[in-house]
Amino acid sequence: MRLISFIVKRLMSMALILLAVSAVTFFLVANAPGDPIRVNLAQHATADTIKQLDHQYGLDLPQWQRYLNYLGDLAHGNLGLSLAQPGTPVSDLLGNGLPVSLKLGGLALLVSLLVGIPLGVVAAVRQNALIADNLNMGLMLVLYSIPPFVLIPFVIDIFSIRLGWLPAGQWGDAGWLGVKETVLPVTVYAAGLAGFFARSVRSFMLEVLHQDYIRLARAKGLSNGKVIYVHAMKNTLLPFASVLGPTIAFLVVGAFIVENEFSINGIGYVTVQSTLANDYSVTEATTLVLAAAVVIINALTDIFYTLADPRVSL
Amino acid sequence: MSGQSGTLPDSTAPGEAGFIEAHQGELGGLGAGLLAEQARIKPTSLTREAFYRFRANRLALVSLVVLIMLLALAILANLLPLHSPTIHGLGTDFVIDAAPSGGHLLGTDANGFDLLSRLIYGMRPAFAVGIIGQAITTLLGVSLGVIAGYYGGWIDALLARLTDLIFAFPSFLLAFLAVSLFGPQYAQSAGGAGIVLLITVIFALVGWPALMRFVRGLTLSLREQQFVEAARTVGTPDWKIITRHILPSTWGLVMVQSTFGIGAFIGTEAVLSLLGLGVQKPNPDLGVMVAEGINDLSLNAVEAIAPSILLTVIIVAFAFLGDGLRDAVDPRGNE
Repeated sequence: MRLISFIVKRLMSMALILLAVSAVTFFLVANAPGDPIRVNLAQHATADTIKQLDHQYGLDLPQWQRYLNYLGDLAHGNLGLSLAQPGTPVSDLLGNGLPVSLKLGGLALLVSLLVGIPLGVVAAVRQNALIADNLNMGLMLVLYSIPPFVLIPFVIDIFSIRLGWLPAGQWGDAGWLGVKETVLPVTVYAAGLAGFFARSVRSFMLEVLHQDYIRLARAKGLSNGKVIYVHAMKNTLLPFASVLGPTIAFLVVGAFIVENEFSINGIGYVTVQSTLANDYSVTEATTLVLAAAVVIINALTDIFYTLADPRVSL
Repeated sequence: MSGQSGTLPDSTAPGEAGFIEAHQGELGGLGAGLLAEQARIKPTSLTREAFYRFRANRLALVSLVVLIMLLALAILANLLPLHSPTIHGLGTDFVIDAAPSGGHLLGTDANGFDLLSRLIYGMRPAFAVGIIGQAITTLLGVSLGVIAGYYGGWIDALLARLTDLIFAFPSFLLAFLAVSLFGPQYAQSAGGAGIVLLITVIFALVGWPALMRFVRGLTLSLREQQFVEAARTVGTPDWKIITRHILPSTWGLVMVQSTFGIGAFIGTEAVLSLLGLGVQKPNPDLGVMVAEGINDLSLNAVEAIAPSILLTVIIVAFAFLGDGLRDAVDPRGNE
């Protein structure tokens, strides 16, 4: 019963936060300086066209009424029309960008898990060893701390320009399954996340390795490998769910950087291009979708964590 | 140091009363022993001990020195014999995308401006946003956190809900949205300083909730400690308890958080400028330089690589510095 009431409460607070997020986004955009209609019409702006377009986009209503209309549209899945590309629904732009971003982010997540977890385990098992722990974790701290874009000039300079092995753009080219084009963006994207995972796994693993049941496993003569990969690993991966929130936030920032630097037409690219083109309705929608994704995933993580670990007190 | 002066337990009457008496004795003895010890050795304060621990951490110490040197370079840039980062002298020749040479130690960029000079001036927005923004964040976070934690009640409830809300909104997206909407009108004002000021303020407004929660938690536990209770009992006014007893116990950990925060702010500022939303070219900024340099990698790779390295050094140095400070002020926290 307590579990169910916890889940219901968590979902309700999630809904409230989503509502607040939509309000913040809406009123920030609504009060931004610069009238998107006038900016986009430029020299074609006459009093009549402005009035007509204002009416068409519902901009002549009071703000609270516009917000309610906006919420109503959202509830119907209607994100409005692009201001800079007249007649194009915002949802079309999102529909094109989202799968690209999901593929890019998913690949980066996969690579970073495959690299980060083993490195973290090695560092924990061989704690204070020079190469396996200290150098390894130093490098991971560097990867984690620096924003991905400072790596981009290096990899493009070395692999695209000097060696000519990998292209610095053309994401989605037909090529050999497009693998060649994905290597650089995914590597840069995954680097910081791998550092984050490695450092988290190390500290979770160290905590587990100091517990009594590990000592018992060793005392009864289990092989080192079995102690670490069977007994310790399970309880190391559980708290891993708690770092999912920061991970998603990291992926969002990464999408903005990587997609723009490698000209990949994902949601981060669409968002930045829309801000540069004063296309407020697109910026509003993409920000809302990304923020909602983060909020929802955070809530689901909390719930999953409570279900998976009975020790978490409600 | 074991207690000798305390009351011995009554061996004929074992039980709870005797047990407590015995332990009171032990505690009293411990106090006396400590006093004797203190009389013999030179007293060291907690701050001094933290300083010794910090000094022993080479990586953090080197980071601090590097950061101070870079900050000094950025502040004193006007006094250094540098080419102008944004203006060509009248009648002077300039070469675009020139390779490093005696006249231009790192070469020139796509507009023919001296790269070294742009690097040094370009650190100004980074340090300004990082240090000033984090200072405002710290001020907001600490004061609101202490007030919420100390007074509790409806103030706490209200502030907690507010932080929950700002916390739940991914901070990068909020900063991105605010800067991209309100930035353009300040982009060129005051020689590019307008947008830096705007970014600083927005980051500070978006960034304080994490610190507020942290300080609130510390205050909640400190409020129940005996030394605070003692101060309250003798009639010390609230503001004095807060400034004399609670704040001094939080500043070490707050400093650690703020140091990490500076690096994060600098990284985000560079990202926004790289995306074309922050500082606008031709004003010097490390993020702008990376964005511009990437297009000219095959002409003069230094244009993008140099600001990348400099940014990495600054951000990583703040991370190492924060690590070192944490180990120094909270030696048991990093087990």
